[in-house]
Amino acid sequence: MSAARPELRPPLLRCEQLSVRRGRREVVHGVSLELRAGELVALLGPNGAGKSTLLDALAGNVPPAAGTIERHGRVAIALQAADLARRGVLANVTVALAWWGVAREERAERAREALRAMGAEHLCERLATTLSGGERRRVHIARTLAVRPDILMLDEPFAGLDAEARATLLEDAVTVLRSAECATLVVVHDRAEAWALADRLLVLIDGVIVADGPPRELLERPPSEQVARFLGYDGSLTDEDGVLLTRPAQVILDPDGPLRARVVHAVPLEDGARVELELEGGRVYATAPHPAPRRHELVRLRIQGGARFPRAGAGSGDGRSGAAARVHSVTRGE
Amino acid sequence: MKLVWDEFRDAVPLVFHGNPYLGSIIWFTVQVAVVATAIAALIGLPIALAIGLGRFRGRRVLHVLANAGLAVPPVLVGLLLYLLFVPTGPLGSLHLVLTRRSVFIAQTILAIPYVVALSAAAIQGLPPGLLNQARAFGASRVQLSVLALREARIGVIAALIAALGSTLSEVGAMVVVGGNLYGYDQTLAGAALFEGNAEHYEDAIAIGYVLMVLIFIAMCALGLLQQRGGGIRMRFRPAR
Repeated sequence: MSAARPELRPPLLRCEQLSVRRGRREVVHGVSLELRAGELVALLGPNGAGKSTLLDALAGNVPPAAGTIERHGRVAIALQAADLARRGVLANVTVALAWWGVAREERAERAREALRAMGAEHLCERLATTLSGGERRRVHIARTLAVRPDILMLDEPFAGLDAEARATLLEDAVTVLRSAECATLVVVHDRAEAWALADRLLVLIDGVIVADGPPRELLERPPSEQVARFLGYDGSLTDEDGVLLTRPAQVILDPDGPLRARVVHAVPLEDGARVELELEGGRVYATAPHPAPRRHELVRLRIQGGARFPRAGAGSGDGRSGAAARVHSVTRGE
Repeated sequence: MKLVWDEFRDAVPLVFHGNPYLGSIIWFTVQVAVVATAIAALIGLPIALAIGLGRFRGRRVLHVLANAGLAVPPVLVGLLLYLLFVPTGPLGSLHLVLTRRSVFIAQTILAIPYVVALSAAAIQGLPPGLLNQARAFGASRVQLSVLALREARIGVIAALIAALGSTLSEVGAMVVVGGNLYGYDQTLAGAALFEGNAEHYEDAIAIGYVLMVLIFIAMCALGLLQQRGGGIRMRFRPAR
C-alpha cells in the first residue's frame, strides 16, 4: 500500500483528445484527463452533457471516435441503473465476482465484506426484488467495490433516491470510497454530492471539460462565466467593467447594507423564502429568514464574495483577481 | 352431456386395462412431445439468445421470421417435408417419408418458432441495465446467456409450454409426412383424427379425453416450475 499522495502516483487512466459518438452525433469532444490511484474525482454536468457517454468510453464499453485512452489495470463500472438479478442479495454480489473472474472459494467472503462496508450486510439473505431503492443502490455499489478494481467508475450512484436515503447512502459511500486505494471517478448530477464526495471536480458541459480542480476552489473561483452559472451563480450584476455573478449565500439582506434593491419574487421555503432582488445593473437571489420581505418591498443588502468576469473583449479574466477586487468594492459600497 | 360422459367412461378401461393400441399411442405421443420439445429448445434457445442479446444486423428480421413461424399452417410444413423426403425429393435418400422419424422432425420444426419467438421476446424484455452491468463486469457469452435465461425463465418456460402444446396437439404436418399410419406413427391427436375420419366418434372422443389429460399433466408440471420462479439452479463459472 503506497502512502504517496494521489498527485504523486502514476496515472491509472489517461485519455488524450477523446471524442465519443452516440450514433451519428458526437457527444464528447476532445476530452483529456488523468486519474491516479487514491484519487476520488467527481464528474459533474447538466443533463445531456455527455457524462455517461464519457464514462462508458473510459470504461471501454463504447469505442472512442477519436483520441486515445490508456488504462493501467482493470476498470469496473457501476452503471446508472441499479438492476439486480432476481435472486438473493449475496448471490447478486457473488455472481458479479464470478463474472469478474474471482475464484469460487473467495467470492462469499469478499461479497460479505463489500456489503458490510456499504452497510448492507443485513440484506444478505433478502431477495433483490424486495429491496427498496436505497438498498438496491447499496448492493449495486457493493458489488462494484467487491471486485476490487484498479479503476472504479460510478454513474450517478445516488440517482432516484429520496433526500433521506440519498444523505445516508452518500455518507456511507464517502467513507468507503475515500478509503479505497483505486482511482475513482463518480458521475454526479447534484452539486452537493460532488462537494461531499470528491477531492477533484471535473465539470463537463456540452461534451467539453470546462473546469478541473478541487471543488471548493472551483466554487470560489470559477474559471469562466459558464462554469460559474452551472455551479450556482444565479445572480448577475453588470457594469461598465463586466459582470459580477453571485450565489444566494453571498447576497446578505442587511438593513445597513450599501446596496438597495426591490423584491421581485419571493418563493416561500421551509425556513424563510428565496427572494429575487432587482437592483441597479441586474438581479440577484438571496435566502431570507422568516419573516421574509414581501414582493415589491425595498430592502438593503450587501454582497460578500461573487465572481467577476470582464465583458467579452475587455481583457483576460478568470473570475479570480477581478472578482476579489469587485467583491471588496461592492461590500464596502464604493 | 350423457354421451360425453359415456365416452370418457369407455375410454378409462382402454387406458387402465392395458389396451396395447392406446398404450402404444400414448407412449409414442409422449416420446414425440418430449423429444421434439427438447430438440426445439436446443435449437431455438441459442437463436432466441442471439436475437435477445446479440448486436448483429438482421436480428430484427430473424425475430420477425420467428414470429411469422407461429402462424405457418402445419399442413404446409408437412407438405414441404413430404416433398423433401419423397424418394424423388432432395432428401429422398434418407427414406424418411411415412416413418416415425418424419413425425419427430415435423413436430420439432413446428415447435421451434414457439421457442424462438417467445423466448426472444422474454429476453428482450429484461432490464437492459442488468445485462449491460454483467457485460461491464466481464461476463462471458455463456455467463450472459445463463443470466438471461435465468432472469427470463418465466417467459422461457411459457415458450416451452407453448412448444410442448404444439407437439402434443398439432396433426396437420405429421399426417401428411408421416401418413398417420394406424398403430405405427400415430400420436393421440392423429389417432383421434383417424377415428373421426372412420366415423368412430366414440373412440375419437375417448382418445381426445386422454390427450386432454396428458396435456393437463404436462402443463401442470411446467406451470408449477414456472410459478416457482423456474427452480432452475444454474452455476456460474469464473471467466477465464
